[in-house]
Amino acid sequence: MTRLLFRALLRGLALSLLLAPPAQAARLTVFAASSLTDAFTELGKAFDAQSGHITTFSFAGSQALRTQLEQGARADVYASANAAQFEPLVRAGLLDAGQGFVKNRLAIIAPRGTMAVTALGDLGRPGVKLVLADRNVPVGDLARRMLAAVGQSGAYGPDFAARSLKNVVSEEPNARQVALKVGLGEADAAVVYATDVTPALKPRVRVIALPSRFNQSAVYPLGVLTGAREGAAAQAFVKFVLSPAGQKILRRWGFQAP
Amino acid sequence: MTARRRDHPPALPLALSAVLVAFLLLPTLALLGRGLGADFLPTLRGEVVLDALRVSLLTTGLTLVLTLVLVTPVAWLLARFEFPGKAVLDTLLDLPIVLPPVVAGVGLLLTFGRTGLLGRPLELAGIELAFSPAAVVLAQLFTAAPFYLRAAKAGFGAIDRDTEDAARTDGAGRWQVFRRITWPLAFPFLLEGLVLTWARALGEFGATILFAGSLQGQTRTITLAIYSAMESDLGPALVLSAVMVVVAFTLLLLVRLVSARRVRA
Repeated sequence: MTRLLFRALLRGLALSLLLAPPAQAARLTVFAASSLTDAFTELGKAFDAQSGHITTFSFAGSQALRTQLEQGARADVYASANAAQFEPLVRAGLLDAGQGFVKNRLAIIAPRGTMAVTALGDLGRPGVKLVLADRNVPVGDLARRMLAAVGQSGAYGPDFAARSLKNVVSEEPNARQVALKVGLGEADAAVVYATDVTPALKPRVRVIALPSRFNQSAVYPLGVLTGAREGAAAQAFVKFVLSPAGQKILRRWGFQAP
Repeated sequence: MTARRRDHPPALPLALSAVLVAFLLLPTLALLGRGLGADFLPTLRGEVVLDALRVSLLTTGLTLVLTLVLVTPVAWLLARFEFPGKAVLDTLLDLPIVLPPVVAGVGLLLTFGRTGLLGRPLELAGIELAFSPAAVVLAQLFTAAPFYLRAAKAGFGAIDRDTEDAARTDGAGRWQVFRRITWPLAFPFLLEGLVLTWARALGEFGATILFAGSLQGQTRTITLAIYSAMESDLGPALVLSAVMVVVAFTLLLLVRLVSARRVRA
C-alpha cells in the first residue's frame, strides 16, 4: 500500500516536472479595462505561446482596478481605458509612465427587435430606459461628454443632454455590464464602446447611428507597475501589445490605432 | 450548562480561540475605526449616503410589510394543516435561504425581466419591473422572506392547541382566535423572524445588482452604494459600512432580547 502510494507520488512528481514551465517562464498578472476582455484574452494566448510565460488577466472597470492598485493589489501590467484612471497612479509612483496602445470610440446600442430607440434623438424621449456606466468609469465619462456635445449642437433641442440623463435607469460599474443589460433586452438603449459590440453580442443588438462629430474617443494607456515582480516579462508583454502582431489582434476586435 | 470546571483551561484551545476571536473582531473594529473618523458627520449628510439610506429604508420597509401580509398566512396554513406533498413544499420554500443571491437574481431576471417568462404579460399590463425600486423589493422579498416563514412556522407550531380549542368552545370565531390567542402567543417568534428578514434584506446585494441595477436615489441601496463608492470615493463607503456595523449589532441585540423573553415566557 505504502509502496503503491510512493510510486504514485513519484509518478506525479515526474509529470509535474514535465509540465512545469521552463525556468525563465514568469507568471504575469495583467490588470486591464473590461472593454479589453476579448482582445486581451486572445492576445494573452498569443503572447504566452510565443514567450512561454503564463499570463493571467483581471478585467474590471478601470476605476475599480485603479482603486485596487492604490490599495496595494499586486499586478505587473496595467491597461486603463483612459488617462484619468492611469495618471494618478503614475503620479503616486506606483506605475511607470505609460504609452497609448489603442484608441476606442463610442457606440449606441439597442436590443434587436425593439423599436423604442431607432435614432440618436430617441435617447431623450420620455420613458426610454437608458443604461450608462458610472461617471467615474471611462466609458461612462465619454458617454456623458457625447450627450453634452449633442445637446450643445442644438440638433435635438438644447435640453437633450438633461432629458437623456433623466432616462438613465442604471449606472453600471464597467462597460461590459452596460452592454449585457442591452444584450438581455432589459434596457432600451445603452452607450458602450464600439468594441463592445462583439460577435457574441452582435446578433442581439442594433447599433444606432452616431454622427462622428458627436462621437468621443479615448486613448488607452498601458504601463508596467513599479512594484512588478516580473519586470522583464511585463516589459515583454507591453512590447508585444505594441508590436504588429499584437496590434493586429487588437484591430480585429475593433480597436483603432492610438 | 454542564461544563467541567477546571482551574486552568488548556493552552492550545485557548490560543486557537484567541486567534479566531481576533480574526472575527478585528475587521469589525477596523470598519468602526475608519468609518467613525473625523469626517463621519459631514459624509453622513452627503447626498450619496443619504440617498442610499433612503432607498434602503424604503425598500426594506416595503419588503417587511409584504412579508408580514403574504408570508404569515402561508406559515399558519403550513403549521396547522396536513396535505400531500407538504414536506416537499416546505423544503422548496426554504430554498432561497441556501440559494446564492446572484442565482436568485438570474432567476428573477428570467421570470420578471422583459424577455423573461412573465415579460410579455407584464409589458401588456404596463408594468415595468427591471431597474425600478420594485425590482429591489422583489429581490429582497425572494431572498429574505423565507427567514420569516421559518420563524413563523415554528411560532405557530409551538402554540398549545388546547388554548385555541378552549377559546373556540367559548364561542370565539376563527379570526378572533387568531387575533386574540394565536398571534400574541406566536408574536416573539414572528418578531425574531421579521428582524432576521430585515437584516437579510438590508444586506441583499447579488440579486439586487443583477435585477434592479444601480442608480443613485432609485435602486442604489446601502450595499450597492458601498460597492460603487469603493471604486471612486472611499468616504461614503466607510461611513455606510460603519452604519451597517452599528445596525447589525443593534439587530443582533434585538434578536437576543426577543429570544430571551421567549424562553422565559
